Amino acid sequence: MSFAARQQQAEAAWQTFEQPDRLRILVGSATCGRAAGSLEVMQAFAGELAKQGLTEATDVVEVGCLGMCYAEVMVEIRGRDGKRVLYQGVEPRHAAALIEAQLVRGEAYLPLALAMMTGADEAVPTFADLPMIKPQVRIVLRNCGVIDPTNIDHYLARGGYQGMTRAFAMGPDQVIEEMKASGLRGRGGAGFPTGVKWGFARNSVADQKYVICNADEGDPGAFMDRSVLEGDPHAVLEGLLIAGYAIGASVGYVYCRAEYPLAIERLQTAIAQMRELGFLGADILGSGFGFEIKIKKGAGAFVCGEETSLMQSIEGKRGMPLSKPPFPAVSGLFGKPTNINNVETLAAVSAIMEKGAAWYAGYGTEKSRGTKTFALAGKITRTGLIEVPMGISLRTIINEIGGGVLDGKQFKAVQTGGPSGGCIPAQFIDLAVDYERLAEVGSIMGSGGMIVIDEESCMVDMARYFLSFTENESCGKCVPCRMGTQHLLRMLTTITEGRGTLEQLEIMRKIGDAMKNASLCGLGQTAANPVLTTLQYFEDEYRAHIVDKKCPAGACRALIRFDIDPARCTGCGACLRACPVAAISGEKKQPHTIDQELCIQCGSCRQACKFTAVLVA
Amino acid sequence: MGSISLTIDGQQVEVEEGATVLQAARKADIVIPTICDHKDLNPYGACRMCIVEIAGVRGFPTSCTTPAVPGMQVTTQSPRLTELRNRTLELMFSGHPNSCLVCIHREACEQYRPKVTKAARSTRCGFCANRDECDLRAMALSAGKNELSLPTLYASYNLERDDPFMDRDYNLCVLCGKCWRICEKIHGKPAISIINRGKWARIGTAFDKSHVFSGCTFCGACIDICPTGTLTDRFARWQGKPETDTPSACILCSEGCSVVAQSKGGQLLAYTMTGFNKEAGLCALGRFGAAQIVASNQRLIRPLVREGEDFIPFDWQGATASAAEGLKDCGGSVALVISASTSREDRFLYAQLARQLQGRMLLLPAEAGSDDPQVQTLAAAVQGGTVRAVIANGNLLPVEMITKIPFTLVIDCLHSPASNCASVVLPAAVLSESGGTFRTASGAIKQLAISSQAPGDALPEWRIVCDLAQALGLAGFGYESVETVTPLVADDPAPAPVSGDPRQNVRDLVPRFRGHLLADVVPALAAFGLPKTPAETSEETAGEGFPILEKREIAPNMHFFKVKAEKVAKFSLPGQFVILMARETSERSPFTLVDWDAAEGTISLVIEEVGRSSRELASLKAGDMIAHVSGPLGLPLTIENKGTVLLGGGCYGIGAIFPLARALSQAGNRVICAIEASSAYLLYMQKELATVCDQLIIATKDGSEGVRGGIQEVLAQVAAQEPVDQFIAIGCTFMMRMVTEISRSLNIPTLVALNPIMVDGTGMCGACRVSVGDKTRFACIDGPIFDGHGVDWDELASRRSAYAREEVQALSQSVDLNALMHQPHAHSHGGGCGCGR
Repeated sequence: MSFAARQQQAEAAWQTFEQPDRLRILVGSATCGRAAGSLEVMQAFAGELAKQGLTEATDVVEVGCLGMCYAEVMVEIRGRDGKRVLYQGVEPRHAAALIEAQLVRGEAYLPLALAMMTGADEAVPTFADLPMIKPQVRIVLRNCGVIDPTNIDHYLARGGYQGMTRAFAMGPDQVIEEMKASGLRGRGGAGFPTGVKWGFARNSVADQKYVICNADEGDPGAFMDRSVLEGDPHAVLEGLLIAGYAIGASVGYVYCRAEYPLAIERLQTAIAQMRELGFLGADILGSGFGFEIKIKKGAGAFVCGEETSLMQSIEGKRGMPLSKPPFPAVSGLFGKPTNINNVETLAAVSAIMEKGAAWYAGYGTEKSRGTKTFALAGKITRTGLIEVPMGISLRTIINEIGGGVLDGKQFKAVQTGGPSGGCIPAQFIDLAVDYERLAEVGSIMGSGGMIVIDEESCMVDMARYFLSFTENESCGKCVPCRMGTQHLLRMLTTITEGRGTLEQLEIMRKIGDAMKNASLCGLGQTAANPVLTTLQYFEDEYRAHIVDKKCPAGACRALIRFDIDPARCTGCGACLRACPVAAISGEKKQPHTIDQELCIQCGSCRQACKFTAVLVA
Repeated sequence: MGSISLTIDGQQVEVEEGATVLQAARKADIVIPTICDHKDLNPYGACRMCIVEIAGVRGFPTSCTTPAVPGMQVTTQSPRLTELRNRTLELMFSGHPNSCLVCIHREACEQYRPKVTKAARSTRCGFCANRDECDLRAMALSAGKNELSLPTLYASYNLERDDPFMDRDYNLCVLCGKCWRICEKIHGKPAISIINRGKWARIGTAFDKSHVFSGCTFCGACIDICPTGTLTDRFARWQGKPETDTPSACILCSEGCSVVAQSKGGQLLAYTMTGFNKEAGLCALGRFGAAQIVASNQRLIRPLVREGEDFIPFDWQGATASAAEGLKDCGGSVALVISASTSREDRFLYAQLARQLQGRMLLLPAEAGSDDPQVQTLAAAVQGGTVRAVIANGNLLPVEMITKIPFTLVIDCLHSPASNCASVVLPAAVLSESGGTFRTASGAIKQLAISSQAPGDALPEWRIVCDLAQALGLAGFGYESVETVTPLVADDPAPAPVSGDPRQNVRDLVPRFRGHLLADVVPALAAFGLPKTPAETSEETAGEGFPILEKREIAPNMHFFKVKAEKVAKFSLPGQFVILMARETSERSPFTLVDWDAAEGTISLVIEEVGRSSRELASLKAGDMIAHVSGPLGLPLTIENKGTVLLGGGCYGIGAIFPLARALSQAGNRVICAIEASSAYLLYMQKELATVCDQLIIATKDGSEGVRGGIQEVLAQVAAQEPVDQFIAIGCTFMMRMVTEISRSLNIPTLVALNPIMVDGTGMCGACRVSVGDKTRFACIDGPIFDGHGVDWDELASRRSAYAREEVQALSQSVDLNALMHQPHAHSHGGGCGCGR
């Protein structure tokens, strides 16, 4: 069957799926949805449909993630009128009401309705107009939550594999030119121009070359790669195939951490489908290009996200970085020229090849083209996975997409780039987010973690958290990283415990400098960033810990005490019941008190109090 | 390959294409510091010391990994590079015990410290076996670095000694990776690699298996390449830096591997590989066994002649005459039984002797013992009376056969059942003590070089045979040297090859050398499954002794013991000590009482692991018995109210000052306790001491806690603030000596607890005599506490070090300390490692 014929067949399948008068329930069931209970919700729906005799008439389909983590479990229901309503926070107990309302009565179930995907409803906003969605441009996430990720027809019908056929028509050199023209830069963190990188690998002469998809997403709090792999695996695999075609590699590896079992399962399904359709194997679609894809499961070492370590790991060796040169484009996996791109990059590649470089380059800023996904987390109202055009301001991301700081607290900083990144203080809220601007203020794009920090988060404690991560994840090979992370962590710990000295601030800067300039790989070169940027912008907080023995954010246990404001305390006893060490006493309806000897500064009382009567100092 | 030209520090350098910047710099004699680079290994780039600046290249690339490119402009020295290198060096040293660099008393200590302290873990300079050879220390010294602004992060790993030959102290490791890289280079699949991550990253075997089962072949390359004292040969560890390297060959089996014999002061320390490559590989026997065989206390050191039931030591002339006498009438009925592990010259001369005596000569395979078929045939001849005298150069004859031979001459290096019932025994030089040539199983002829002295009266076999032949009146044995024999040897056959490949598998090691079971000579070899003679019934009486109630390592090498010893506890007084014997056969060694409880019937001790006897004690655990506890011994301290008393304790003295402080406090003194250690991680008993004194002052040599320095500095500081009426110091001889000099200048009455070598502890032997105020006193009954200002410290130091060499030898001699110390690996268990335990 020709590609065009196959595409027609896929189109037909997609039309059936999208048939407006057919009842349909889509359940967001990526790992995040599953963790929130999506599989139980699906079961509840199945049971309820059976009761109503609607089982046959209704499609219940698992889809990927729309990125609205704060609203999990998300369910989209299409009623007989063709209207599609997106519901948030769905639990199994809601199944009956939802089916009754939309599938039986034909009305949106307002208590849970979040948005209208199609059609209008007076009481429910349109999806595209949601403040979280409106500023977004979804290229990498184009299919996530929209298609059935296990159905290649859905992907094909939405333009899938047209990038591949277009690439075959262009020839490898033109594909590389197209990549260069798109301005796409590596989304794994370093931001190296993808087309240029492919050019290096293409120019290496060898009997065998490799392409690798780096799916070893390791930054704490980053999950965009997982989301794409689970929600739209073909977008990534198509990108990998195109990369292989461009550089002349016949084998591609997907290096995915074993902690992502669903992503691996979806990849395996997708690879089998590709093979079935002749998108893998010898002479793909008569192009003369042959390609195979293998999955290598990683054991979860953070350093294996570093390209040379990753290749060592594929080779069966201990994941430890190697010095460059030689660069992978010259001598990489098994000593052969190798090109590595991360998941997000490859998902963008397939879109660029489908729609053209100019279309992609139309988004973003001069040096940072296109879009970037971010895992928005921390003290923010709407946590989630978002995709925005480069150059969007932090303010738009935080206030519009994210809905502002949680509980109306004061915005203090935003941390980007995970353990390798830095903190951007509130003064830069209007910063345009792209590679250059982030670097100018001392942070990095990284893989796209974005953690919002409010007034109650301690910057020293946050730096300590990231250093505890890198101290543990340093492979141990080079001295500055192995020893530097240990010293930084120890000093940060002593500071958060009120035992620090001002001299340590200078020593930490010096250690950070040595790590940055003398470490072997990116892990060590960036591991001091959380310390260096917080020292740059929040030295006052460090000094408060050291000199005043106070944690201004009220977060460092050794330096704070909790007291109950007798004027505000109603004597409700909520704090007393919440206290794990029975440090709180008081008569009913009388102000309570905290025994400082017993108190372990856990803050449970403060969380439990409804009258903000628990004060921290 | 062509050559390329680049500029380094303004100097034009030509190198082969493919060379690294570091290699190019070396070619131009430009020194760039590095620890992880080695000429026989591929670039690794871990230590980050060799960073340089290259025009047009971002950052600071490592010269060891950067290929030289034509026209490259390299700068190896700049203020920025120095700054970064110094910080990296400081980071590296913060993960390695560093008092050898930062201690302010280092120079004086090196001058006065009489001998190395043979501890388990190397925690400070006097405790480091590798100080003289440490590349890390040399690099730091050349960088002029002796200050550390970072705290020392001591990893506190146990010393690993669960294999026969290596001590591995990963607390010293800087992860340069040379060991596992050389292992990979030589063996393909390395037995060791880096395990774990981050701060727990260290070298280890897969799943923390013992090296015996890890595929390790014990070639010793990792030890030889280790730049720090992390990996050491347990036998050679404390012998110091080798003085001479002599190329030679090993004749322990017919392979005849080429070796480099390392020796010092006439003693063989080790056979090492001739190069870091697969072809130069050695087996465990050659690498580790040879030196221990040569140094064995089972060596024959004197000619012995049987007189009835007894052996009488003879001089050579007398013994040779006796041997000639025994052989004289046996012409035609003599048999020689010679091992193939004998040099060509010696074999030639034995054959000459056999020919001239019209006897026969049996040449036994290298691995053969007295059960060899040829020997069985000989037994028949003995039975039939056709053989009346036998000469053997090893334990090659069964005892029951010897008893039937009228005259047996054994020329050998080691005691054995055969030598025990021979008529005459002549001690022979062996291995590194004897020259000549050796034909290997592959037919090659290898030169044997002399690199160590034979013990006692032992002589090379060629000399013994020539002397014997001349005593027998035979002609043609007038050789002056072994070299004059060499040209005469021709057409000697190549010996049979060994079965298996002992260089690739420790299970293939040959079990015997000249008929001796090697595991009898080097007991640790039994770990590889080598057979040994079953031990006779143990002389130890199980279940008797003093039970250990509690035992903990409270600081590295410092072991706290609580022992049930009711009578000792009942009479103990502050300042007294006990003498312990770990086992019935152990040496007696004295230890100061740290605490006692008469009601409970217990005594407490802090024992520092510093040598053989303390190691035996340290290997015991709660529930075990100490064979003997004698005490309390020595004169107690007179407890009276002196006013302000300053007690200074270092090493074991930190524990030892505890009962003094308590008693002096109770007597109404103002008691100040000062304790010193090289670094904070070596301190212990701070809490306990704080409860028995008015003030506790801590001093560390690296400044990691309290005052930077030692008791010297504390004494000066305290004396400057308040009058000190009495000063008492307990610790190493060096510390006590230094503090008494200061207290003398300050006119502070000073007492010290001396620690000379002691044997009986009751005033009988006099081994512990010391000179105090021009009088000879016995530390055991007149002390141990003396007026510090009267002590002859030089004499004490010299008497303490009188047996330094024997003490080092005792660490590995005959007793299988390895088995004694066997502790299964502590290995945290979440199950994720997959080791199956």
